[in-house]
Amino acid sequence: MSESVHIEVTINGRDRAFEVAANHTLLDVLRDQLGLTGTKECCVVGECGACTVVVDGIPMNSCLMLAVEIDGRDVTSVEGLAKDGHLNALQQAFLDVSAPQCGFCIPGQLMSAHALLQRNPNPTVDDVHEALGGNLCRCAGYLQITEAVLVAAKAGQQ
Amino acid sequence: MKEFSYERPESLDEALQVLATSGSDIEILAGGTDLVIAMRDRYSQPKVVVDIKRIAELSPSLVWDDNAVTLSATATMSEVVGDEGINTHFPALVEAAVVVGSVQIRNRATVLGNICNGSPAADTAPPLLAYDAVIVVAGPDGIRRIPIDDFIVGPGRTDLHEGEIAIAVEVAVPPRMVGSAYERMTRRRGTDLASVTLCATVDDAGVTQVAYGSVGPRAWLKVDETGVLADPSASVEAKAAVFEEIFADASPSVRSLRASPDYRRAMLRVLGARAVERAIERLQELQGVS
Amino acid sequence: MTSNGMVGASPNRVGGRDRVTGAQEYVADIHFVGELHAKLVKIDESRARIISIDTAKAEQVPGVRLILTPDDLPKPMPRFGPQYQDRPVLAAGVVNYHGEPVAAVAADTKEAAEEAADLVVVEFEVLPEVHTIKAALAPGAPLVQDPSLRSGEPLAHTNIKTEINYGWGDVAAVEGNADYVIEREYEFPMITHFAIEPHGFIAEPVDDGLNVWSTIQHPFQLQKTLANLLDIPLSKMRVFAPDPGGGFGGKQHPKLEPLVCYMALKTGKPVRLIMSLEETFQAVRRPSTRVRVRIGLTNDGDLVFQDIETDYLIGAYVDIADRVAEKSSYLAAGPYRVPDVKIVGRTILSNTTPTTAFRGFGVPQITWARESTLDEAAVELGIDRYEIRRRNLPEPGFEFVPGDTPSDGDWRQTADKAAELIGWGTPLPEGRGRGIAFGIKSGPTTGLSYSTVRLLADGSAIVFSGTSDMGQGARTVFAQIVAQEMGIPIENVNVIMGDTATVPYDQQTSASRSTVLMGTSVYRACKDVHGKVKAMAARVHGVDEADIEVDGGVVSLTGEELPITDVVTAGLGALGGEVIGNGEMRKDKVPGHPLAGNAAFFEFNCTAIEAEVDGETGEIQIIKHVTVGDVGTALNPQQVQGQDDGAAIMGLGHSLMEGLILDEQGRTRNLGAIDYRIPTSKDLPIELISASIENHDGPGPYGVKGVSEGSLLCTAPAVGAAVRDATGLVIRDLPLTPQRVWEAMREQQS
Repeated sequence: MSESVHIEVTINGRDRAFEVAANHTLLDVLRDQLGLTGTKECCVVGECGACTVVVDGIPMNSCLMLAVEIDGRDVTSVEGLAKDGHLNALQQAFLDVSAPQCGFCIPGQLMSAHALLQRNPNPTVDDVHEALGGNLCRCAGYLQITEAVLVAAKAGQQ
Repeated sequence: MKEFSYERPESLDEALQVLATSGSDIEILAGGTDLVIAMRDRYSQPKVVVDIKRIAELSPSLVWDDNAVTLSATATMSEVVGDEGINTHFPALVEAAVVVGSVQIRNRATVLGNICNGSPAADTAPPLLAYDAVIVVAGPDGIRRIPIDDFIVGPGRTDLHEGEIAIAVEVAVPPRMVGSAYERMTRRRGTDLASVTLCATVDDAGVTQVAYGSVGPRAWLKVDETGVLADPSASVEAKAAVFEEIFADASPSVRSLRASPDYRRAMLRVLGARAVERAIERLQELQGVS
Repeated sequence: MTSNGMVGASPNRVGGRDRVTGAQEYVADIHFVGELHAKLVKIDESRARIISIDTAKAEQVPGVRLILTPDDLPKPMPRFGPQYQDRPVLAAGVVNYHGEPVAAVAADTKEAAEEAADLVVVEFEVLPEVHTIKAALAPGAPLVQDPSLRSGEPLAHTNIKTEINYGWGDVAAVEGNADYVIEREYEFPMITHFAIEPHGFIAEPVDDGLNVWSTIQHPFQLQKTLANLLDIPLSKMRVFAPDPGGGFGGKQHPKLEPLVCYMALKTGKPVRLIMSLEETFQAVRRPSTRVRVRIGLTNDGDLVFQDIETDYLIGAYVDIADRVAEKSSYLAAGPYRVPDVKIVGRTILSNTTPTTAFRGFGVPQITWARESTLDEAAVELGIDRYEIRRRNLPEPGFEFVPGDTPSDGDWRQTADKAAELIGWGTPLPEGRGRGIAFGIKSGPTTGLSYSTVRLLADGSAIVFSGTSDMGQGARTVFAQIVAQEMGIPIENVNVIMGDTATVPYDQQTSASRSTVLMGTSVYRACKDVHGKVKAMAARVHGVDEADIEVDGGVVSLTGEELPITDVVTAGLGALGGEVIGNGEMRKDKVPGHPLAGNAAFFEFNCTAIEAEVDGETGEIQIIKHVTVGDVGTALNPQQVQGQDDGAAIMGLGHSLMEGLILDEQGRTRNLGAIDYRIPTSKDLPIELISASIENHDGPGPYGVKGVSEGSLLCTAPAVGAAVRDATGLVIRDLPLTPQRVWEAMREQQS
């Protein structure tokens, strides 16, 4: 009962139509089928957040979504943050504050932060900790990651 | 993950038809936060996965009317947390929903999924029990309305029959004034699975309900009609005696990775007292008493 | 020194841009046309004899190209390992730990490989196993390693791999002089690295050699291991080491690369094995320990003697565990003046996940025991717990280990800073406690790093370095050094790493060594460039070389100061070209030294914690967490802070919430992220303060010492001491979960 499903989706601002296997997760499809390897695979049980993407403005763990579920929806992954090669304020803040250490959790952190700032442009420290609470960092760069989000928030308000 | 046939019905009838023809080898996909893990682990190997998120009758996912809220099968934890009415009338449900995993999980996990998955540790079970929620089930023979206490059967088991699908949970604002609170015990402050879940409600007639889970095959609802728990001036000993009875059914697993039976039993009592205390505070706020 | 503003600056992380755009390529992001996907076949036992491996059904799965079993490997089974060559490429007739690979499938797709792996039928006979120190040492205990593979070793008929004896003076003779003696035993749990990037390996057969991609921290060691095993010359054995997504020591040594190489050679195609997080947990962990500490003091709190015995429970194969034991035991007595010391360390084999290096390299485990015991002693003696430590600290330059590297920093200043920041001695609100601890770890004792710097015709530069940048920011540090020495903007410096074919030899990335060792090598490469520039300037300006100075990117001659790039452009002339400089930093073995060499530097840390304990639930809230290290010079303060904060929080992990749980048969029960808890952004101390003492007294360029492990050394004893201070509870094992604390409270009440 092999099943291939046709989906139409906007990914990082680009309208696309293609077939996906029903039993492939969104993470599988992003990384293996579309070559968008920015989104990372780690725990695959929705605990670490390394696979976080934003779907219709809402951050989700792509490891726990079937790819077919994004049919008709708008998906943003880390590759969609920069515009024409220019880092957005959040990415720049992460760099300026030296938030990424090994960098592996960073795409997920960025997507959670991106979704947070879209919804709440002026978050408190606690808001940031809560919004990024599902993004594990073993380098434990949490303080600098939090600072980066707040710096970006401030930059966005000017 | 094994291969399966993916169905995405657009109406309840269509969904029921798929269920009728697919036998028992089906799984319902709402938020997927439990199902995808189970399928990846090969713990669940359905032939058909039915994605219910496009069923017209399930939208909107959250509807208020006549002093009751209906959460359809697609209502997520985040939606519950963000609803003003639920925050006002069912604060314990919000307190539970907001700790079911991270933001990413809560944006997908559904309340009804949490109940239907049947984990004894389901965070939303104790509040829904304490709020007398009703589960609405659609099947080939029509609609059934089942009080949640009857709907929850055991670990991974509910009263759903083959061919049926749970489509909503209805929670009515209690006729009396009620204060409520939710407590849980975890291994760390960050997102975690609970080793004890507990909800207490206290109403203005002095009736206290304590619903608790993660300490046995299912979450239980117990009622104290003596008025002792609801009475802020009752002695610690008197309250302890009532709690002993309330928690008598607790049978925490010896094999659990998360907490020992002794700790769980002790925390039931600690969290029970704390939840009741907060419930009383909330009731007093409603009553305009401080 | 001409400062170009690079020393002590925090320029944006080199390589940072790729990390924030998703462009950074980790091993799992790399693909090849025609690649095969590998999946391991394992059994759910910690020890079993393999009777047969039936691949018939698995072979039927469409897309399966190879199922590698021991029959496909040379006989006897090839073995490898950094200290002992005891680890087989595949389980050699017997599985010795839960998760040891028995066979491996290679297929066209991930799904086919998974399906086939499930269909391989392994017939086995469960064997008795040992997974605790007690069980491993019990008379008649089943032996983890076959004595015939340990021939010549005195302890071959036991589960003790190695016994180490260190010390100085004569403890037995002076014991009677102590006014007060305390003896305690402390335990440290099994902890896994949990880098967010699971391990991954790719092997691609090429010509008569192999290209290998690995998450490895030591690419050259891997290269050597594979070249030896497979009989391929080093020149044809190319290891690519993309930045690991977190290493922490778990990715230092070869694990499954040999297996993947055999599969690639057999199929003639690229083979990739990306491990799951659960498989990664089964592959690496920290040694757990039982430490018996006996300390003698005068009534004033002066240390008279220390007598420390550490049993390290290591895994089924040694990996680098003996070295962990040697190095950490060597400094078991801590950063103190102690006239007489006796140290014993034993590595004890068990049927558990092989232990490997992990940030701190055994020191956190011993520090937990020693500092906690000292704390108990202070309380009993009625001496301030900070004072009892401080009074025993040596002055800089004191041989606190006689005959060895003297104390290399002002440790009192470092400790005082921590005490000041935590407010030691100031009143505490009711229900709160404070704890403080000192710790010390050796930097590298041997090393070898080569570096090449190419100063290009337009004044930009390329640095080649074999260090692995796994988040500690090595790339940036080397770029800073070159920018400083060449007087060029850091944006014009390109750092090439991670390719044994293009980058000169580096022994390893570990022991916080890279800024000091590779940094020195890069610095010397720059000096080599300077030397050539000097010659160029002499030629172009007709001046004697002796009258020319080159410093920090400026060439001074006959009263003129010229930027180095101008001299180079003029010197290269019409043909163009570049100036190539080479640097070498060698720290040779010292024959007869117990650690094969003395420490290049020390990481000294003082951690102080203020905490509150919920008397009903046992939950600990860290109110304030202070960590101060003696860093010499913070070449890049932002990165130093990131490392210190990160190590501090990682320390809270094993202090409060982490621990592998085994069942009665030695199988790991909490594999994966759901039941192995590490700190999240919601588990941070309310206030975390990290600080550095900079006296520019380190052996590296500009006075740097190594950093990145210090803040992890003392976290547990500081937390434990704060809990004790707040509640009177004495708990001698970790983690201090709410349940554990509650159990201690209950015991205390009864």
